[in-house]
Amino acid sequence: MNAMSGQALLEVQGVSKSFGGLKALTDVNLSVAEGTTHAIIGPNGAGKSTLLNCLIGLLHVDKGTVSFDRRPLTGIKPYEIIQRGIARVFQTPQIFPGMSLMENVAIASLANRDGQFKVNPQVTLDARHPAMQEAEYTLRKVGLQDFRHTDAEHLSRGDKRRLELAICLAAKPRLLLLDEPTAGMSRHDTNRTIDLLKEIAQSGMTKVVIEHDMHVVFSLAERITVLAQGTVIAEGKPDEVRGNPKVREAYLGGSQE
Amino acid sequence: MFERENRARDLTVLGSFAAIVLTLPWWLTAIGGYEALATKIVIWAIFALGFDILLGFTSYLSFGHAAFFGFSAYVTGLMLKHVTAEIIPAMVVSFAGTLVIALIIGFLTLRRSGIYFAILTLAFAEMLHAAALSSMLQEWTGGDNGLTMDTNPVLFGIEMEGLNVFFFCALILIGGFFVARQIKRSSFGLMLRSIKENPMRLEYTGVNVQAYKMSAFLISAMYAGLAGSLMVIYEPYVATKFLHWSTSGEVVIMSVIGGVNTLIGPIIGATFLLYFENVVQAFIGEQWKLVLGAVFVLVVIFLPGGFVDGYRRIRKAFGAKVEPRRQNVPDKPQRASDAYDRKNTATQYVD
Repeated sequence: MNAMSGQALLEVQGVSKSFGGLKALTDVNLSVAEGTTHAIIGPNGAGKSTLLNCLIGLLHVDKGTVSFDRRPLTGIKPYEIIQRGIARVFQTPQIFPGMSLMENVAIASLANRDGQFKVNPQVTLDARHPAMQEAEYTLRKVGLQDFRHTDAEHLSRGDKRRLELAICLAAKPRLLLLDEPTAGMSRHDTNRTIDLLKEIAQSGMTKVVIEHDMHVVFSLAERITVLAQGTVIAEGKPDEVRGNPKVREAYLGGSQE
Repeated sequence: MFERENRARDLTVLGSFAAIVLTLPWWLTAIGGYEALATKIVIWAIFALGFDILLGFTSYLSFGHAAFFGFSAYVTGLMLKHVTAEIIPAMVVSFAGTLVIALIIGFLTLRRSGIYFAILTLAFAEMLHAAALSSMLQEWTGGDNGLTMDTNPVLFGIEMEGLNVFFFCALILIGGFFVARQIKRSSFGLMLRSIKENPMRLEYTGVNVQAYKMSAFLISAMYAGLAGSLMVIYEPYVATKFLHWSTSGEVVIMSVIGGVNTLIGPIIGATFLLYFENVVQAFIGEQWKLVLGAVFVLVVIFLPGGFVDGYRRIRKAFGAKVEPRRQNVPDKPQRASDAYDRKNTATQYVD
């Protein structure tokens, strides 16, 4: 494992965010090393999704800084953040419902290839277009190739998640943010997704995973940050976190394993 | 093989479209219309076709496209009246002017979507309408009477009247149809169409959604502007109605009745509406607006996809295999996977 050796790709320093009187995040620090898988866990309402939303510009932080590859992410537009090499899987799958799976994924490979905006109406987008071939390849990787001509809205919930993952992978990000990637999946599908994410890890892609399923967390994560009530209460390797009494009290309780 | 097949199909589609459009004055006369109506239909078809690039692709419903149609008509009229009777300079100037107006209106309205966008565009169009009628500009615009001209417009010295105007407009429509089809099938078109599906996902896939929305808006405004210019060339008179909200409403009705997001639908819608207003009307008598309203209601309730959808349903009822509407991916999985396998054995992808 190269958990400690890699440079910090994502650096979150002293981030605070509140909604009205509710303090969602208080002085959160997070450092994710390049090439590692970092899990964020914590009870419901701990601020995990809020943190991810702050990273990609969906929410503006009140205080603190977020930097990616040593460049600040604050003050730029969401699509610019994404173009730097970040992709996000949302808690509720965000896909293009009325379009085929191929088109869904091709949009991401086009965004990766052409950047944020490009007008090129002279090239017809058909099966031989590189973006389409890449889409097909990515769909095969997540195991959805049989549905590639189906409209995305007809997929099951678990498959929609996998489609969203495919969209994110096709963008070839350096950092992949996953918000409960296995929620709503069967055990079998969960294990397949874990295998897939492990496979991606070998390609050197950095991942931040929010997950409730401890089975998933402990099979993927190299480092874990525990959030409770908007603050970091523990951070470390899986074994350290598992043994931490504060964490057991706040979150894991007696329920794990 | 694949390529040739597609190209042949393209040529057939465009060829038959061109043939139908170019023979319009004759077949329209045969079914009770007249030559000048054919020109009017073609001009409105350009307007509606451009409107589909905004409404059909991105689902942004503009209720103020009369602004571009009317503005361009006024600029063309003023150019023809005061500068030159040659139409090319007039069209170029009005085209550029429309583009500027569209940029400003687009910049201010595209921040909102849905009903808010519709209301905002409507407000801007109404402002232009009020400006044209205002006492300040009356001297130029002719106020309530509209802008009248005494000379006939010319193209390189050729009088633009009768069939000359028709063919000029028809060629622009055919060109415009070709461009719109090409946009629809390109990666640019895919981006525009995905705005309708999920703008948030698009933004968080690293795409500048605002820029794509703006380009769709500008393209549709350019079509509207072209149509506005042609309207003045066809009949050297600018009516204040060109800027009126009912003009915006009419193009919406044409699109919905014909079938949005089909390109050909709005063209059919324009033909139907104008034919109805000018020919069928005479048979029905004074209740024609009531009948037209009923047709509109029936289409929206029973054929939400418009006439094009109706045609599909009829074909389906007669047992034809109707392929799902998909523009970018040909529904031929084997071929697509062949392409994939060939590429993949060449280890094109590095993970």
